[in-house]
Amino acid sequence: MKEPAISSDAPGEKLLMLGNEAIARGAMEAGVQVAAAYPGTPSSEILETLTKVAQKFDIYVEWSTNEKIAFEVALAASICGVRAMASMKHVGVNVAHDPLMTASYIGAKGGLVLLSADDPWAWSSQNEQDNRYIAEQGYIPVLEPSSVQEAKDMMADAFRLSEEFKHLFMVRSVTRISHGRGDVVLGEITRERRKGSFKKDRSWLVYTPVAARKNRLLMIERFERIRQAVDTLPYNRLKLVDRARLGIIACGLSYSYTLEAIKWLELEERVSVLKISTPHPLPQELVKKLLKSAAEIIIVEELEPFVENKVKAIAGEANIPVKIHGKNLLPVIGELSTRKVTEAIARLTNSKPPVNFTKLDKLSEETAPILPWRPPTLCPGCAHRAALYAINSAAQRVARDYGKPTEPIYPGDIGCYTLGYLPPLEAVDTTICMGASIGIANGLAHVVAAPIIAHIGDSTFFHSGIPPLINAVYNKANITVAILDNSATAMTGFQPHPGIGHTATGEETTSVKIEDIARACGVKFVKVADPLDLKKAADVLEKAIRFEGPSVVVLRSPCAIIEQREKRQRGEKTIPYYIDQDKCNEKCGACIKLLGCPAIVKENGKTIIDGPLCTGCGICVQVCPHNAILQES
Amino acid sequence: MAKEFNVLITGVGGQGAILMSELLGEAAVKDDFNVRGSEALGMAVRGGSVVSTIRIGSEIYGPLIPMGKCHLLIGIEPAEALRNISYLSPSSLIILNLRGIVPFTVSQGKSNYPTQDEILEKLNRASRQVIRLDAACLAEEAGNPITANMVMLGAAFGGGQMPVKLETIKAVIQSHFPAKLAPVNIKAFDLGYQACQQAVKN
Repeated sequence: MKEPAISSDAPGEKLLMLGNEAIARGAMEAGVQVAAAYPGTPSSEILETLTKVAQKFDIYVEWSTNEKIAFEVALAASICGVRAMASMKHVGVNVAHDPLMTASYIGAKGGLVLLSADDPWAWSSQNEQDNRYIAEQGYIPVLEPSSVQEAKDMMADAFRLSEEFKHLFMVRSVTRISHGRGDVVLGEITRERRKGSFKKDRSWLVYTPVAARKNRLLMIERFERIRQAVDTLPYNRLKLVDRARLGIIACGLSYSYTLEAIKWLELEERVSVLKISTPHPLPQELVKKLLKSAAEIIIVEELEPFVENKVKAIAGEANIPVKIHGKNLLPVIGELSTRKVTEAIARLTNSKPPVNFTKLDKLSEETAPILPWRPPTLCPGCAHRAALYAINSAAQRVARDYGKPTEPIYPGDIGCYTLGYLPPLEAVDTTICMGASIGIANGLAHVVAAPIIAHIGDSTFFHSGIPPLINAVYNKANITVAILDNSATAMTGFQPHPGIGHTATGEETTSVKIEDIARACGVKFVKVADPLDLKKAADVLEKAIRFEGPSVVVLRSPCAIIEQREKRQRGEKTIPYYIDQDKCNEKCGACIKLLGCPAIVKENGKTIIDGPLCTGCGICVQVCPHNAILQES
Repeated sequence: MAKEFNVLITGVGGQGAILMSELLGEAAVKDDFNVRGSEALGMAVRGGSVVSTIRIGSEIYGPLIPMGKCHLLIGIEPAEALRNISYLSPSSLIILNLRGIVPFTVSQGKSNYPTQDEILEKLNRASRQVIRLDAACLAEEAGNPITANMVMLGAAFGGGQMPVKLETIKAVIQSHFPAKLAPVNIKAFDLGYQACQQAVKN
């Protein structure tokens, strides 16, 4: 394997890095010894990067089964004096929320850093939550980078600060930092490696009410010391311009848009700027200085008015007469951009943006009607397509026996198969959070009369599907759980999981069998089927749905992308299918209407298979009523 | 040193836009420019629309290209180039691969794919310079249809405005691929470069 550039031990060298690589590099520079994570966009590449350098730099790296465990792994290392981190997407922090809220009572011995990668505009997420509020609730100080370089530097400094203040720190990234690229000047890699030692200390680590009360006080004291320190942290910077009417407070990534907007509007000598890198706790003295210097203030931050509300409170408490803007001029929804910030600042300074945005908007609007709709879709050959088709066929058959018109219900989950909500499969009725397919199915079972088939991927099942399955057994929920096992955490980049048989760093390990778990949970109907055999899979599913009580069908077939990749490596050829135009009925189109495979397209009125895209999965053959689909010889 | 040169790469997940921006960014850093950029990863890349940005120069801050400030648009897929029309200005250079990828929604009758004339008419209204080529054809000529993205990268350099040195990007391509695959990628790059230079002259 090529040595990744980020393992370069040449301080001062400048490299192009993905934000997540920079975050990993920062942790290496801080001497991280334990790193744990569960994959989730936009955070996955952080741990992935660390797996590649784990051996060389003696770092213990694991893909944990879920974020709660990842955080607990890191917390335990910190308790033993070892520098540790857990990285996760914003909603992953919800899963880790339980230990997190007590971890801040514990604080840190070895530097402890939680990396939360938030996703404004929910590019690849179920919501847009702003994790600065979670940090606030837990007295967890937050560092928020404005660039890829800062992401690296802050990550390294977060460990240093964590040890200095004996407290847990959060570094909050966002999609455009984590999946941004930038030139980064490397620092030195810390080679110090500590031996962990567990010192029994019940008053610190056993959270009885007595310990909680004692440690809560200590936590608040620690946090107060951090509050005093952030004013002099070099990441927080105030640039006061003499007699400037407007002061701008820019938080995290928004600072980069703000600088650009100021340059665009040529306001460098007319506005004061406070760059905020610690939204929690805020550098109060710097904020007050700015508030006193200007007549109007605008706070530029993505998502919620987190800093804005605090600044308003500071102004009110200190009786500073200043007009404060923020979310009245900038959206709470989605990402900010240079344009949005430029327009807001232009309004407050009576200046004119150099680009005619209205004209460009009009151009976009005029163009939109002729653009094709191109949603992300299941790949050609994806076994989830077959699985969802089989589920639908089986469920419809059972639903017909309900006597009155009944629609089967498909509580869905988080993964590639979420894309099955789109036509033509339309086999996802709810998507809420990891594991919710089975939880929601549990509830539905007690209030509606319909076949209820929850479906959930393999990695998601390990993550949070087991307790709700036990719940279904215990509380007699009459549901079917289809576990779509493609042997990968595919959506986030094919990371291994407990069912795969090897660890994050490629070591062999026990492969945990999903069907064994289902049986051990007390499920009486457990079967494994190959989804690519549509008829057999549908028959097994039908039996499962008719079974009285909870049933599980594991639909097992490897991820097509991985399979194709492995085939290429082995030098095996894929034999694609083609459509015999003599047999194909042009008016039929069943293959397209039923499956929506991107490899089957209409060209000049004819239905054809795009050879290079076809993986040879053969499910279209099984739905063609005219036997017109044949395999090339 | 260039103050600001903004490159927008648009296409469909799987066409290699991310690799192009990675190589271009790496070369720009080697030439000692500041670089900022942004990728679409995760759910967005499963056959969906993809936008990659690379910004090169001494006065760039954010990862995204502001509207109307794109200097070079590399359209690996024509309809996706059109989708990003609001980033263009009359002085933008557009390198457009004419080979379209029709999404499955069209086969299903749920949306329409524009004609080449419609696409060109709109792009020509937004910008003065649209260079067209058939990247798939040139990639096949190079020896592997998968190198269409290198054809497009070569064409982007053939346009003559790129602040990054030609030898730098070629060295980066050379070292990125395993020795066996480097020559075909370099050849694809060269064919794209020449095709674009030819088109600029005409």
